[in-house]
Amino acid sequence: MPSLGGERTVAHWDEDSLTMAVEAARGLGVEEFDAVIFASTSPPFKIKQCASIIASALDLSGNTFTMDVTDSFRAATNALITANEMVDSGRFSRVLVVAADRIPVKPATIYEQLYGDAAVAIAVEKDGDAKILGYSTATKPLPGTWMRSDDDTVKDFDMRLDARYGYAESVQQAVMPLFAKLNLSPADVDRIVASAPDPKSYVGLLKAVGVKAEEFYFSSIGIAGAAHPLLLLASQLERPGRILLGGYGEGADVFAIQIDDAIESNLGEMLESGKKIGYADYLFNRGFVGVKEAPDRPSLTKYWRDEKSIIRFYGMKCRNCGAVSYPISRCCVECGAKDSYEEVKLGDKGRIYTYTIDYLIMPGNYTGDGIHPHCVAVVDLEGGGRVFFEVTDVLRDFEGVECDAEVERTFRLLFEKADFRYYGWKVRLPR
Amino acid sequence: MREVAVIGCGVTQFGHHWKKDQENLLVEATYEAVKDASIELKDVEAVWCGSFYPSTGISGNVFSDTLKFFGKPISRVENYCATGMDNVRNAAFAVASGAYDIVIAAGVEKLMDAGSRGIPHIEGIFSVAMPAVSAPGMFAMAANRAFKEWGWNRKDLALVAVKNHYNGARHPKAHFRKGVTVEQVLNAPMVAYPLGVYDCSAVSDGAAAIVLTRPEIAKEIVGDDFAIIKAIGMAVETMHPWHRPSETFLSFPATVNAAKMAFKMAGIEEPRKELDFGIVHDCFTITELINYQDLQLCKPGEGAELIRDGVTAIDGDFPINPDGGLKSFGHPIAASGVRMIAELTKQVLGKAEGLQVEGAEAGFAHNLGGPYSVATVAVVGRR
Repeated sequence: MPSLGGERTVAHWDEDSLTMAVEAARGLGVEEFDAVIFASTSPPFKIKQCASIIASALDLSGNTFTMDVTDSFRAATNALITANEMVDSGRFSRVLVVAADRIPVKPATIYEQLYGDAAVAIAVEKDGDAKILGYSTATKPLPGTWMRSDDDTVKDFDMRLDARYGYAESVQQAVMPLFAKLNLSPADVDRIVASAPDPKSYVGLLKAVGVKAEEFYFSSIGIAGAAHPLLLLASQLERPGRILLGGYGEGADVFAIQIDDAIESNLGEMLESGKKIGYADYLFNRGFVGVKEAPDRPSLTKYWRDEKSIIRFYGMKCRNCGAVSYPISRCCVECGAKDSYEEVKLGDKGRIYTYTIDYLIMPGNYTGDGIHPHCVAVVDLEGGGRVFFEVTDVLRDFEGVECDAEVERTFRLLFEKADFRYYGWKVRLPR
Repeated sequence: MREVAVIGCGVTQFGHHWKKDQENLLVEATYEAVKDASIELKDVEAVWCGSFYPSTGISGNVFSDTLKFFGKPISRVENYCATGMDNVRNAAFAVASGAYDIVIAAGVEKLMDAGSRGIPHIEGIFSVAMPAVSAPGMFAMAANRAFKEWGWNRKDLALVAVKNHYNGARHPKAHFRKGVTVEQVLNAPMVAYPLGVYDCSAVSDGAAAIVLTRPEIAKEIVGDDFAIIKAIGMAVETMHPWHRPSETFLSFPATVNAAKMAFKMAGIEEPRKELDFGIVHDCFTITELINYQDLQLCKPGEGAELIRDGVTAIDGDFPINPDGGLKSFGHPIAASGVRMIAELTKQVLGKAEGLQVEGAEAGFAHNLGGPYSVATVAVVGRR
């Protein structure tokens, strides 16, 4: 397989589209949403809604409307249209659209070189700094890329078909009614970005439209599946102007968006802070190497019952001695006072009090393989509370993990055991 | 407490007993203890028998079915790695109370049958979302903080391994019977940073049993040939030190409290002056250094100085682990604490051939378990 060049983003072993979605949404720094729409072609569950878990991790109200949009690389633009309608209707004031993909690929295939892992979150509300002027859609049942319900990797018949008849045609077909509706002509558009099945098709589209190529992030991220259109949108929001945004998959959704004030994102920061890893670690992160022996069966009932401590991440502040501690329990760990506490949300950052790198355990509480040790730390959180965490985003390289080092919380897959995926919080060195 | 006499001790060879099962080891230790006490098994009125991992029932059946010792009171006490000495504590208090005249305290563990690296996994003891940590990992966290706080280093830890293996090399029942060098310790494979293989006690099989009675009865049976348990303190702290904001990881509060209790019970104010030696729970090298401090042999932060200066060597001012400790014996969990009392007994009776601490009249033993959450400290002296 010849190299397509560039770099690709790879999720850590304990990241999936759900956890990356939580991380992206936390980056918005917005605390209240009345709806969460999760868009992904790689949701970790086939039956079980991810958006509800995301809402819990974000500590949103129990009355938040949640939905998942899946199965198509157009999922995120589908979600954006839905969010736009929800806000326009006046029934929702702020909707979180979060798209994430970690497309399953096999080693030494073209797909491995094509796709990158990413998540992007966008807050949709009535009076944002950028306005969706309108949108329209073209639907085409092209062969494209697919996975059947039981498949464990993506497939295609002939990608050249999409390149020749799918992509540019779909975008153009969607753009025409949009221009008519909004009374716009190509000259009224400053920039165009649209997710594409491959980088070559993207260049082809821009040539056809006759505009300058905007950064597509193929050589730094890869194609991020359903997250890609929002990734491109985030990059464009950083400059004012009128743009066209396209989402491709079984046709295309196209938006005209007016950006009045630039909206900063952490895209550049994320790209800069990337950590380069070798192919062996890549294979571990993808689950192709490493024996994950998990003899025990954690109680899902306990996991459900302790949602407030485990997912929403609340601790307790003792009314008697003032100690903040974790997890919530009836008697204070410092003074023993019974049933005398208030629940408090614990801090995002903290310092390592002490730690170890444990070769008898593998990350994720699996039996140690002697090669991938489990790095764990006792962390004193800002605002009080001491919590024992797995230190993640380290695989065999523990530089910087030491007493008093600063760490930040990150939402991850804790482990997959007894046919269930358990999520929760870990810490990592700041990016 | 009322004084309790140790009139018989039985300890098996510790090590990898591939061809012996747990029952075999317990029979061996029990009959050795009974013979040493000059009694017969039928003279025993009650038994406390520890076994941390399930075997032959999670009950008194561990002893009854093994020895075919039926129809008498038998309790199985579990308290993590302090299981052994907690069985001794319960047995001793039962004798002291006058409820029974002659009892056995025993402990047995057959870890090698589990086929695991490190001690076998126990399910469901931690909260679902907590990261797993191995036993070495728990104590490694104490080491890393001590390094930060006091400037100790891996070489200080290595000196503990060197000392204990030097002693253990001369003990006929030890698992490991050869010395190690500082270089060997430092270059050994890592288990849980900063603890390498030689910083850890090994997974071993073994059993130990002792026969207890009151001194006046002891005199009738064995004459002057018995030792006295003067005190046993015990304390249980948190199972989650990593969630307790006040935990320092530089001291194990369970040990501190158990030691205070035992020393007070025995009327000891300055253990380093009033006692002659000690046997401490050296499950890991760092544990031994912190134990020095928690057992009042020195001030916080000075533990490493004691090992550097040779104070705790067998010919030092206050020998610690003259038997070779868990480092040399390995740590068949429930057996260790009982074996420690047997070692104290031998020392104060002047029977520790080749390993005798000169002038050993009284000493202490310390058994620590869990994430430093349970500890037992006993004081044993000459009659």
